[in-house]
Amino acid sequence: MAQEFNMKLTPQEEWGWLLAVDLFLGGMGGGLFLLCLIFNLSPSIAVLSLGLVALGAGVLMVELGRPLRAWRALCKPFSSWISRGVIFVTFFIVFGALYSAPAFDSFSWLAPGSDTARRTIGVVAGISALFVTLYPGFVLAASPSIPFWNSPLLPVLFSFHSLMVASGLIFLIAPLGLESADLRSISFWGGILIVVNFGLGAMYLATSKGSGLAGKEAVKRLNEGSLGWTFKVGVILVGMIVPLAVVLWTPSAMALAGLFILIGGLLFRYCVLKAGVYVPFPLT
Amino acid sequence: MTTSEKAVASKNGKAPRWGMAVDLKRCVGCQSCTLACKAENGTPPGIFWMRVLEKEEGSYPQARKVFLPIRCNHCSVPPCVPVCPTGASYKRKRDNLVLINQDKCIGCRACVVACPYQVRFIAEDSKGYYGEELTPYEAESYQKWQPRTVQKCTFCVDRLEKGREPACVQTCPTRALVFGNLNDLESEICKLVRQRSHFQPRAELGTDPSLYYLT
Repeated sequence: MAQEFNMKLTPQEEWGWLLAVDLFLGGMGGGLFLLCLIFNLSPSIAVLSLGLVALGAGVLMVELGRPLRAWRALCKPFSSWISRGVIFVTFFIVFGALYSAPAFDSFSWLAPGSDTARRTIGVVAGISALFVTLYPGFVLAASPSIPFWNSPLLPVLFSFHSLMVASGLIFLIAPLGLESADLRSISFWGGILIVVNFGLGAMYLATSKGSGLAGKEAVKRLNEGSLGWTFKVGVILVGMIVPLAVVLWTPSAMALAGLFILIGGLLFRYCVLKAGVYVPFPLT
Repeated sequence: MTTSEKAVASKNGKAPRWGMAVDLKRCVGCQSCTLACKAENGTPPGIFWMRVLEKEEGSYPQARKVFLPIRCNHCSVPPCVPVCPTGASYKRKRDNLVLINQDKCIGCRACVVACPYQVRFIAEDSKGYYGEELTPYEAESYQKWQPRTVQKCTFCVDRLEKGREPACVQTCPTRALVFGNLNDLESEICKLVRQRSHFQPRAELGTDPSLYYLT
């Protein structure tokens, strides 16, 4: 029995694939809605973003030990980032639906009467979408127990990563009917987002490495073993370098770049979760 | 915890802050406290509300083992409480214990991850030590918690309310564990903390744990 109780650095094992999928879908949905607002894309893309966030929320419900009590997660918005996140997601789905309603005949009765009202609803939905992309980073950063996550950079990184993944989804679905002018400007900004995420990620890893024993161990885990391969090949090579090369040199293969960005985006969230290592016990 | 300590707790106007001092010079790593906790609280297989960590230090002929009993520290600033989205994890005002209302817990694991001491647990099911069928003892003791919600050391709150010490403290054969009211300056635990060199685990995280390791 005592063998199990050795003092050593331990990685967190509470959150894994399911949460990574939730963070991926939620972030991608929020980011997609923001891109939809920024580039004035078709309302069907806004509806897709709502579906992704709702699907992410559904995955989160599966992750919960007691999903039937999930409504209780609305109770502590003044202290808990999870609680705030649930509120942002609810706001986003409600106001996003109101914003997108006019585009569909059967839901046009939901549409706001004036342009000002629609614009206001769009702003509220947009702010909610921004927080949908930000709050998972704050949830993780609120854990003093895991120095790798306990960083103010993480919400920013999650938000920019969400925008990058959303641009990847647009690359992927562009052949279904996106206007070429829109695709050109999104691919330009998609490329910029990959570079920004690369820089932010490097900064995040560098600061984590200097944040003590557990932070250093987390960065080491991202460089060694199966998690290291997942991170280096899946997140960096497949998720960033190859898509950037495609954006720069072979724009005809944008859909493939989009697919790679999505794969990298999912693996990025998984790697961040699995690299979390608890602060060591005293005496370690 | 003596009768006079209980009296002071209610008389000095300050709510008691129950805490523990662990004398690392006395702890021999016998795991009696671990077993007493199991017996008292009927925790399921693989879950230890309290356990004694061990580590080998030095090399032959000066090699030795060091022991570190750990459990929920009932922190003054518990990081597990603000992250809870439902209020299931809370700090009880009347005695500063950090407790869990299992009826409110949704099993999101945020508190498990936020705890720097790794002393919160989730039992995925109600299996006993001997398979699906519970022993009469397990059937009785498993009523105290719900599967797929968070559980942890309560400082044996049921015993405290009857004026008794936590099971681990009562069991420790070397008297390495001292329990008492940290808000009562005359208590044995406060005297020990004043007299002996000590540290609080991971105090740098700002949690102000109600646990002192005497060195």
